[in-house]
Amino acid sequence: MAFTPRGGGGGGGFRGDSSGGRGFRGRGGGRGRGRGNGISKFGSRGGSSGGRGGRGGGQKRGGMKGGSKVVIEPHRHAGVFVARGKEDALCTRNLVPGESVYGEKRISVEVENPNDPSVKEKIEYRVWNPFRSKLAAAILGGVDNIHIRPGCKVLYLGAASGTTVSHVSDIVGADGIVYAVEFSQRSGRDLLNVAKRRTNIVPIIEDARYPARYRMLVGMVDVIFADVAQPDQARIVAINAHQFLKTGGHFVISIKANCVDSTVEPALVFAREVEKLKQENLRPVEQITLEPYERDHAVIVGVYRPTKKKSKTSNYEKESST
Amino acid sequence: MPKSLYVLYESAAGFSLFYVENFESIASNTEEFQEALNEFVRFSKLVKLVAFSPFTTAEAAFENLSKLSEYEITTNLANFLESNLPKVKEGKKPKYELGVFDHKLAAAIHEQLKLPATNSEKITEIIRNIRLHFERFVEHLRSSDVIKAQLGLAHAYSRSKVKFNVNRADTMIVQSITLLDQLDKDINTFAMRVKEWYSWHFPELVKIVSDNIVYARCVQLIGDKSKLSEESLAELEKIVGDEQTAKNILDAARTSMGTGIEEIDLINIRSFAARVVKLAEYRKHLHDYLVQRMNSIAPNLSALLGEQVSARLIAHAGSLTNLAKYPASTVQILGAEKALFRALKTKGKTPKYGLLFHSSFIGKAKQKNKGRISRYLANKCSIASRIDCFSDVATDVFGRTLREQVEERLRFYETGSSSQKNSDVMKKAIDELSSIVKQDHEDKMEVEEKKEEEEEDAEHHKEHKKKKDKKKKKKESRKDKSHKKTDKIEKEKKKKHKQHS
Repeated sequence: MAFTPRGGGGGGGFRGDSSGGRGFRGRGGGRGRGRGNGISKFGSRGGSSGGRGGRGGGQKRGGMKGGSKVVIEPHRHAGVFVARGKEDALCTRNLVPGESVYGEKRISVEVENPNDPSVKEKIEYRVWNPFRSKLAAAILGGVDNIHIRPGCKVLYLGAASGTTVSHVSDIVGADGIVYAVEFSQRSGRDLLNVAKRRTNIVPIIEDARYPARYRMLVGMVDVIFADVAQPDQARIVAINAHQFLKTGGHFVISIKANCVDSTVEPALVFAREVEKLKQENLRPVEQITLEPYERDHAVIVGVYRPTKKKSKTSNYEKESST
Repeated sequence: MPKSLYVLYESAAGFSLFYVENFESIASNTEEFQEALNEFVRFSKLVKLVAFSPFTTAEAAFENLSKLSEYEITTNLANFLESNLPKVKEGKKPKYELGVFDHKLAAAIHEQLKLPATNSEKITEIIRNIRLHFERFVEHLRSSDVIKAQLGLAHAYSRSKVKFNVNRADTMIVQSITLLDQLDKDINTFAMRVKEWYSWHFPELVKIVSDNIVYARCVQLIGDKSKLSEESLAELEKIVGDEQTAKNILDAARTSMGTGIEEIDLINIRSFAARVVKLAEYRKHLHDYLVQRMNSIAPNLSALLGEQVSARLIAHAGSLTNLAKYPASTVQILGAEKALFRALKTKGKTPKYGLLFHSSFIGKAKQKNKGRISRYLANKCSIASRIDCFSDVATDVFGRTLREQVEERLRFYETGSSSQKNSDVMKKAIDELSSIVKQDHEDKMEVEEKKEEEEEDAEHHKEHKKKKDKKKKKKESRKDKSHKKTDKIEKEKKKKHKQHS
């Protein structure tokens, strides 16, 4: 490709422009499935996690490659589990047993019924691939608190095809609810199909920039999760938080540095985003990068309108001071 | 005396109206107050439910949601507000204000219902807290009911969004151009395979017949080279096109050094060759279809760039509307994102062209003029796409005019010959257009009114773009001029329409 001599160059770029032109597509449409490529750590494990058996050493089911024993242990975060086999895998308890959402592996184990030890119950878990889900990557990256727990209400901005949404719906369980907002109609179609089987997902195909358009569909939530990869991401989260996030509620944002400004260092982009969030009364508490699962991504976790009791010195400030 | 405040709250279950007591005392940002709002008991002392009118059917709820999201006031809402807000005596100013979700809705209600609707940060704050406590305000309403209503309504709304896709026609173009590109690739690899396979038997044929599809046809016809005789010369000639080549093939077949081949292998080679020929035919059909679709959806752009390149542009942008919204600078390097972002990062030189490279104009230009002509072409493309997107008169008048302008420009770079003034050229185009419009004007009266509205939109985009361009203000003053001129053109066009109607 030839280049044009256009001065020392590099000034501005498209996205940085304040006039709001969107330039190229960030994330919304067309992404469809497959943020992850074939190199998934878990995908290549083949037999190891596919096995079920579990504690009871039960019989093997067709299609699943049995063999090794898999033990399910609860993760530090409520609603998340770790399958310990040949290699460990993150998983969530399947809300709709017997069904995969996007072709992920399922692991089922038999456990004793707490009320009646003689009866054994089957529980199915779905493996959660950190290469395809930024939330899973954040959990494996050791995030302190994801705030998404059983029974809570989540506003999920940038739901895409509903892969991560399905795991979030597993975590919050039947008592919780996930409001999943996605703008792209193509991805929204897949999202609708996921939501059909899972009644705790409220699918909303609408632009997250305009909360007024879906104000009637959303109630107050405990957590906002945002993965919209837009230059004005911080603003999008803020306007949604002002309308729908409970006082003292939390937010989890995944930021792709390239989508905000591709001309400066990722670290600088994250710092700027944090600054924007602070101005909107969204106080960041924790920030981690998603290496090695995603390049130049960060997840920022924080609290909205913090009350004084809680905010003596947040982890975030500790971190930044050292 | 301060005005009293009512607040409208729309939920999936229905409309509700709240009365806010001693609104003035609310100092919303103090911490104690925030805490008070979190407790229902204390909040319900500040805010009282006046009326709640549930949606009677799912359809009614859906209609209200979809209209209100576009800031259209439904009769349901109008009736609800009229019957529940205090009556205002004629000629007197109302003593209350109606707080609503946002400014736009406030403006819409104010305009259409003449009610004193308003929005402020405090009202947003109150609505936040109503949302938090809503279920407890309304008797017999459980939170599970609200969620059920939300779920049903959200499904209906989202389904309709998918169903009534505004870019329906564009998706057909996007799909068919992607398929066309895929087919080109596939046909090429398949043809290579045919050549490779058949060459074991008749290696000389590759040299004589270079075209892939003609080669596959020959394979179909010849089969076993030893059986090729004078009798099949006529047919062979039909395929390859001239007598001499057919004779050459015959000679080569007689002296060929290829291996012999069994009947069963031959059958397989032939059937594969037949597949390739069929695929090539299908590709042609698909191309015709694409040309036809492009000429109806984006006539001007196709006239300027050719159907394939313009279809690729649309495919890359996602839809014609998206393409029309892009500034010309974006159109110029559409398809070269990787190079662009690399250049921005390394502070190197940004690419001159992306998909536009495939247009014939760039190929015609000399090396040092390629960037200039690409920029000029991108400007014209963005004008053409806007005309296509927002005009109802399906002609390629502007496309052809723009094309001539680009050609003139090319000549200018080549020989230095002066070109026509943009305003003259555009005037001509408009005259031509108006004569076309006149012909079928009568039956299009209604359509045109619609068009004017849409053109306003187009102009809005244009202004937006102009702002951007001004910022850049490089050597592209020419570009700006042409934009202003097109603005003028749009205005003139409008005038014409008004005269007609």
